Amino acid sequence: MSTVSGREVAVSGAGSAAERRPEAARGGGSAPGARAVSAPAALLRLLGSEIGLTFRRPRNIAMLAVLAVVPVLIGVALRAFGGPDDNDGGGPAIFTQVTGNGLFLTFAALSVLVQLMLPVAVAVVAGDSVAGEAGIGTLRYLLVAPAGRTRLLAVKYANAAVFCLAAVTVVALSALLAGLLLFPAGPITLLSGGTIPLFDGLLRIGLVVLYVAAGMAALAAVALALSTLTEVAVGAIASTVVLVIVTQVLGVIPQLSGLQPYLLTHWWSGFDGVLRDPIATGDMGQGLLVFAAYAVVFGSIAWARFTGKDVTS
Amino acid sequence: MSERTRRGRAMRWGVPVAAIAVVAGALGAGPVIAAVQGEPALPERTAEQLLADATKATRADVKPMSGTVIQTASLGLPGLPEVAGMGGTSPAALLAGSHELKVWYGGEGRVRLALPGRMSETDLIANGNQVWLWESDANKATRIKGADARQGAGPEKALPTAATPQLTAAEVLRRAQADTVVEVTNTERVADRPAYQLVLKPKDGASLIREVKLALDGETFVPLRVQVYARSAAEPAFEIGFTSVTFTPPAAENFTFTPPAGAKVEERTFGARDQESGAEHDRAEGLRETIKTVGEGWTSVAVLPFSEKDLKAGLSQGRGGGQSDGQGSGQGGGQGDGRGGQDANAIVDALLKSAKPVSGAWGNGRVVQTKLVSALLTDDGRLLVGAVTPEKLAEAAGRR
Repeated sequence: MSTVSGREVAVSGAGSAAERRPEAARGGGSAPGARAVSAPAALLRLLGSEIGLTFRRPRNIAMLAVLAVVPVLIGVALRAFGGPDDNDGGGPAIFTQVTGNGLFLTFAALSVLVQLMLPVAVAVVAGDSVAGEAGIGTLRYLLVAPAGRTRLLAVKYANAAVFCLAAVTVVALSALLAGLLLFPAGPITLLSGGTIPLFDGLLRIGLVVLYVAAGMAALAAVALALSTLTEVAVGAIASTVVLVIVTQVLGVIPQLSGLQPYLLTHWWSGFDGVLRDPIATGDMGQGLLVFAAYAVVFGSIAWARFTGKDVTS
Repeated sequence: MSERTRRGRAMRWGVPVAAIAVVAGALGAGPVIAAVQGEPALPERTAEQLLADATKATRADVKPMSGTVIQTASLGLPGLPEVAGMGGTSPAALLAGSHELKVWYGGEGRVRLALPGRMSETDLIANGNQVWLWESDANKATRIKGADARQGAGPEKALPTAATPQLTAAEVLRRAQADTVVEVTNTERVADRPAYQLVLKPKDGASLIREVKLALDGETFVPLRVQVYARSAAEPAFEIGFTSVTFTPPAAENFTFTPPAGAKVEERTFGARDQESGAEHDRAEGLRETIKTVGEGWTSVAVLPFSEKDLKAGLSQGRGGGQSDGQGSGQGGGQGDGRGGQDANAIVDALLKSAKPVSGAWGNGRVVQTKLVSALLTDDGRLLVGAVTPEKLAEAAGRR
C-alpha cells in the first residue's frame, strides 16, 4: 500500500502530471482490491482507464474534430464547384461519383485521409503511449500496479487500436452525414457496374471502416515499437510519420514497384475491393495478412524492448 | 546489471527475430511448397500428344471456369514515358509493369472480363449477343453490336488486353513449325495446379525470342500461362497467366449487365467504328493490304509503307498501338478512344527519340530495338518490324 500511496503523492505533486493521470491514479489506489478481482477484469479496468484518458485529452479530441471536418470540406467543395468531371480535370473517378451518390463521399474521404491525416493521428496516440508516460515520469508508477509489463503493453496497444477504429469511424460517419445532406442518396453503383441497395452499401462501408482501422492498427504497432525505444514522445511520433512518408515515396517510384506489396502504405487504400462485384476478397485478405504481419513483428519488438528495459523515469 | 537479466534480455529479443523469421518464411513458403509438390504428378506426354490434346481442348467447349490472370510486360521499350500515371486501365499502361485481369467463363458464350484499377474498373460482359463494355472511370457503358460471343472469341478481342491465355496460346500453337525446337515438361505448377509445359525455341539465331513457354493444365489442357523470353534477359519479357483458377461454373450474376442509373450509355458496332472515323478506317484497311512480309516463321519481317507522319496519324486513330510486342499482333483490336491514342503518340515520340540512325546499301533509316521487337524506319518511307535483330531488318530492307 505504501508504494501505491507513494505514487499518489508523486502524481498529485507533479501538477500537470496529476491532471494527466487522475484516472490511473484512482485505479492505482484501488490496486490492493484488484488482487481479489479476476485478472481479466483488472485488465479491462486498466484498458477502460486508458481509453478514458485517450478520449479526454484535448489534443486527441482536436485531432478527431479535424478528421471529422475534412470530409465535410470535401463534400462542400464538390457541391460548390462540381465534380472534377465538369471542368475536365480528369481527377480520380471516385470524386465524380460523389456528386451522383452521397454515399461515395465516405469512400472518397477515406481514400484521401488514409494517405496522411489518419496515420498522423494514429502516430500521435500510439507514439505517445509509452514514451509520453516515460517523458513526464508516470511510467514507473504505472508499472507499480500489479498488471505486469506485458499486460500494460497489451493495454496500451489495445487502446491505440480502439483509437484507430474511432478515428476511422468518425471520418466515415462525418462523410456519411455530409454526403447524405449534400448529395442525393440511393442505390450504389459498384465499380463493376452493378447496383446494390442502399442498405448493402452501408454494410460495405462498415467493411471498409474495419479494413482501414486494421491498417491503422498495424501502423499503431510500429508507432508503439518506436515509442518503447525513446523517452521523448515527439521523437516516436515524428519518426513514425517520417516512416509513413518515406514508405509512400518508395511506393510511387516506378523503378521500385516490386517493393510495393511489402509496403504498409500500399495496402491502406486497398479497400476498393468492397466496391467490386463480387467483393474482391483475395486482394483485401492479402492486405489484412500484411497488416497482421506488421502488427506481429513490431508488436514483438515493442514487447522485447519494453519488458527488458530499465525504467528510470 | 546481473548476468541473469542480461541473458533474459537477449532471449526476449529472440521473439521479434522469430516473428520476422515466421513472416519471411510465410513469404517464401509459397514457392517452396510449390517446389515440394512439383514432383511429376502427371503422366509423361510427348509434344505431339500434348499438342493434340491441347488442340482438342481448344476445339471442344472449354469448361466453365473463373480465375485471376496476371499480365506482366517488361519489353524494354526505350525511354517509355510515364504511362503508369495514366491509370491502371489505360491500354497503353499494359505495355509496362504488371496488370491483373479477372476472368469468368460460364460456357455458351458467357464471358466476363474485369480489369481492376485503383478505385476503377473496366469490365467486358458478354452474354450471347449481349455485349457490354463498362468503364467505371468514365461512368460509361458501351453496348457493342454485331459481336456474338457464340461465334468464337469475338468479344475477347474487343477488350483492351485482347489476350486471354487461350487466345495467346492458339497463336503460339499456330507458329509451332519446322523451325522450332519443341520440348515438354510435366513438372510445372501454375495457379496451384499441375501443368504440362511446352517449350518452343526458335532455331534461327536472328530471332530476338529465346523461347516461348506455354503451360497447359494437366487435367483440362486449358492454357494456364504463356511466357515469352527474350535472348537478352533471364526474366520473361512478356508473361500472361492465371495466378488462381477454379473450374466451377461462376455465378450467373456475373454475366448480366444493366447500365446503372446515371451512366452514359453508348452503342457501337463491332468492327466498323462510328461514322466519323469510317474514312480513316478504310484507309487503315487499305494499309493492311499493302503490308508485305519478308522471311518466314520466327524471323519474318513485316514491311509497311509508312512515314513518321502516317505512323502518328494512324496511332492517334487508335489502331492498336499497344500491340507492337509481336504477340497476337494479328488480332490487334484497336481501342479507338482518344486517350489510348494520346498514350500511343507519347510512346511513339519516345521511341523515335531513342532511334539510332543506320545506313546500308538499301539507304538510310532509323532503328528502334526493344527486347522482343526491332523496327526500322527507312528514309524512303518504309517501316520494317519483326522479332529479329536489327541486322536482319537491314537485310530485309535490302530485299525489295
